[in-house]
Amino acid sequence: MLKVRKRIFFTVLILCVLFVPGCVEQKQLEKLGLVTAVGYDLEKKNVIRGTVVVHQFDPMAQNITKMITTTANTSRGLRQGQNLQSNQKLVTGQMRCVIYSKELAKKGVIQLVDALNRDSTVGNMVYLTVADGSAKEIMDIDKTNSKISLGTYLYNLIKQNVESEQILSPTLQEFNHNYYDIGKDPVLPVLKVQNRDVIIKGLALFKDDQYIAELGPKEHFYLKILSDKFNAGTHELGFKRSDFERIRLKKGEHSIRDVYSKLFIDIDSINSHAKLKLIDKKTLKFKVEVKLDSRLLESTEPLDYSNPSSIKFIEKKLNQAMEKDINGLMKYFQKLDVDPVGIGNEYKAHLRGKNLSKKEWREIYKRASFDVQVKNRIVKTGVID
Amino acid sequence: MKVDLHPRLGLLFNAYLLMFFIHKVQTGVGVVGLPRIVYLDSKHDAWISVFLAGVITGIVIWAMFIMLKQYDSADLYGIQVDIYGRWIGNFLNIVYMIYLSACFFTIFMNYIEIVQVWIFPNLPTWQLSLVLIALSVYAVQGGVRIVIGFAFLGVLGTLWLGAILIVPMKYADTTHLFPILNIDVKHLIKGIYGSSLSMMGFELLMFFYPFIKDKKSTLLYAQIGNLYTTILFTVVTLVSIMFFAEDSLARTIWPVLSMFKIVRLPNLERFEFIAVSFWMLIILPNMSAYLWAASKGFSRVIKMKQKHGIWIIGILGWALAFFVHTRSQMNTVTDYVAKMGFVLAFCYPVMLSAIVLMKKRFMRRKAANAQGS
Repeated sequence: MLKVRKRIFFTVLILCVLFVPGCVEQKQLEKLGLVTAVGYDLEKKNVIRGTVVVHQFDPMAQNITKMITTTANTSRGLRQGQNLQSNQKLVTGQMRCVIYSKELAKKGVIQLVDALNRDSTVGNMVYLTVADGSAKEIMDIDKTNSKISLGTYLYNLIKQNVESEQILSPTLQEFNHNYYDIGKDPVLPVLKVQNRDVIIKGLALFKDDQYIAELGPKEHFYLKILSDKFNAGTHELGFKRSDFERIRLKKGEHSIRDVYSKLFIDIDSINSHAKLKLIDKKTLKFKVEVKLDSRLLESTEPLDYSNPSSIKFIEKKLNQAMEKDINGLMKYFQKLDVDPVGIGNEYKAHLRGKNLSKKEWREIYKRASFDVQVKNRIVKTGVID
Repeated sequence: MKVDLHPRLGLLFNAYLLMFFIHKVQTGVGVVGLPRIVYLDSKHDAWISVFLAGVITGIVIWAMFIMLKQYDSADLYGIQVDIYGRWIGNFLNIVYMIYLSACFFTIFMNYIEIVQVWIFPNLPTWQLSLVLIALSVYAVQGGVRIVIGFAFLGVLGTLWLGAILIVPMKYADTTHLFPILNIDVKHLIKGIYGSSLSMMGFELLMFFYPFIKDKKSTLLYAQIGNLYTTILFTVVTLVSIMFFAEDSLARTIWPVLSMFKIVRLPNLERFEFIAVSFWMLIILPNMSAYLWAASKGFSRVIKMKQKHGIWIIGILGWALAFFVHTRSQMNTVTDYVAKMGFVLAFCYPVMLSAIVLMKKRFMRRKAANAQGS
């Protein structure tokens, strides 16, 4: 008798365990609108305008995406307003890209980034970007070009360039890391509309959470070498033709022609390693050592590659040119008072028994000086000599 | 009450299972927030604090073993009665029972909070607590061997979660670790205290001891389990310090889960959902171990059946869950339990083992004197 009662009891218990979890909130895919991209503009004082691109799973719908714009004071307020304009519940689990307008970025974006951090449904690998004009302008592309889904397009645009090492990865995780680190500042890509398409125009330098200046592709290469340990992308360097007179091949067709007044060399760094080192704490002298293993891809004049001494010569010339450029870039950062390379982190690692605040570091940063050393090694020159 | 407990041979378990059991009961909900809690005190030297806390835990385990070795096959309930007599001993036993039940309560409440924040914001607490309590009651009904076996399976089932830590390493910044030992001793010790909540669980050794088959190798396997926990916790803290920026680690409530956020598999966008779900496999063995030890007190201290004790604690825990609503309340409860645990798991066992040793030596001398005269 007792055994039967016990058995019934445990059956009920197990049924409870099985069915109680079914009571939690259900989310059916057809009833959800997946937000894939969000844009924020500064409408007027205290008011931001938010635009979202929503991916729908409604088989009856004509377009797979939909754009919704509202204004509110906070990003959560925007979400509520957007929900009122949608027949599906908006969820942010598939959010791929967030765009801030330049105007907003100049004023600071941390309050909006903080809302993303607080929300557990937003992933840490969301890309943050800055729009050259307004964010809405970029989101409007979705309307004119209904074949593509803007969220996916932006995601692929950035991902492709990050993977081919053209730009620094601008994920929410990296933004947070660089923002909250005392000795480092974040960088984000700048997007622009060109010929009804979105392109990456450059790189935005941030001081804390405020947009300061934009960096062109050339400087970008150096910033990437300095802040990333892995492979960097292709780079083009210009030289005076007379400098290379010694190793120029006199034979061949295009040696006589004058298409260019300068000599251009393209290198592709396959392996770069940058080392930051504080040499002198008192005079704040930092040593920046960059080692590059690179491939020579192209030169606009036929140069003598077969001779080891001429390769050495090219390497030396490259070193000098790069050192000059990197030095200029560091000076430029110092002038703007931004530290995207993370020199402050290196300084802090040598600071014993004292805590460094961001303000103190900014003061110290102004007095720092840099000794740049570049060591190029050309390991390959292509399939022909 | 008899001091020694002589269970049937069929109820005993092998000592090597202790290795898994000790590691399992130490690793629970605490480790999810551990890096931040220690970081708040000892800054970027937090990993040193965690490591030292592990070493201290090893010493406490050693002291416990010395104490348990003095008896043939006793648990803490018996030892306390033997040392202090019936009234004080049983009072202290009840204190321990309350502490063990409180641990049981904080484990599932903290886990439910994580589930509510990360996955289901609208999930009522009572539903999930019902499921968790029912499962652990069911496990404990099966007896001590089921509890131990559950811990063993829990370790094997969640071993792979440690390997996931490789992914956040890609975003690590090693400059965060330097200069090493930049913190003063006071904060370092504060950090050790902070990690003690996560290290707790090994005190259950004092309750499971009578059920170990080959009692001689208890110390070895308990220490191996503790060593693994120490290494794992230190690595987790190290990775968190390198992964998060200075201020953001101090703000992140569950750094380990936040680190899982960057893991991305081709057909699984959000890995942390899997991690949170798998965490149930980590905490359920803990819950059942604490529930077993607490309910054992019912048969040892009060003359009741252990089975009834399981139900009483289970229902009480479920009912109490209705009174905790906000995160700050939960924090207060957890803080109280942590303070209690620090005294009852770290300090008191060392003291008790000293008393036991003194008493045994005194008795031996007395016996020798009696023989001599």
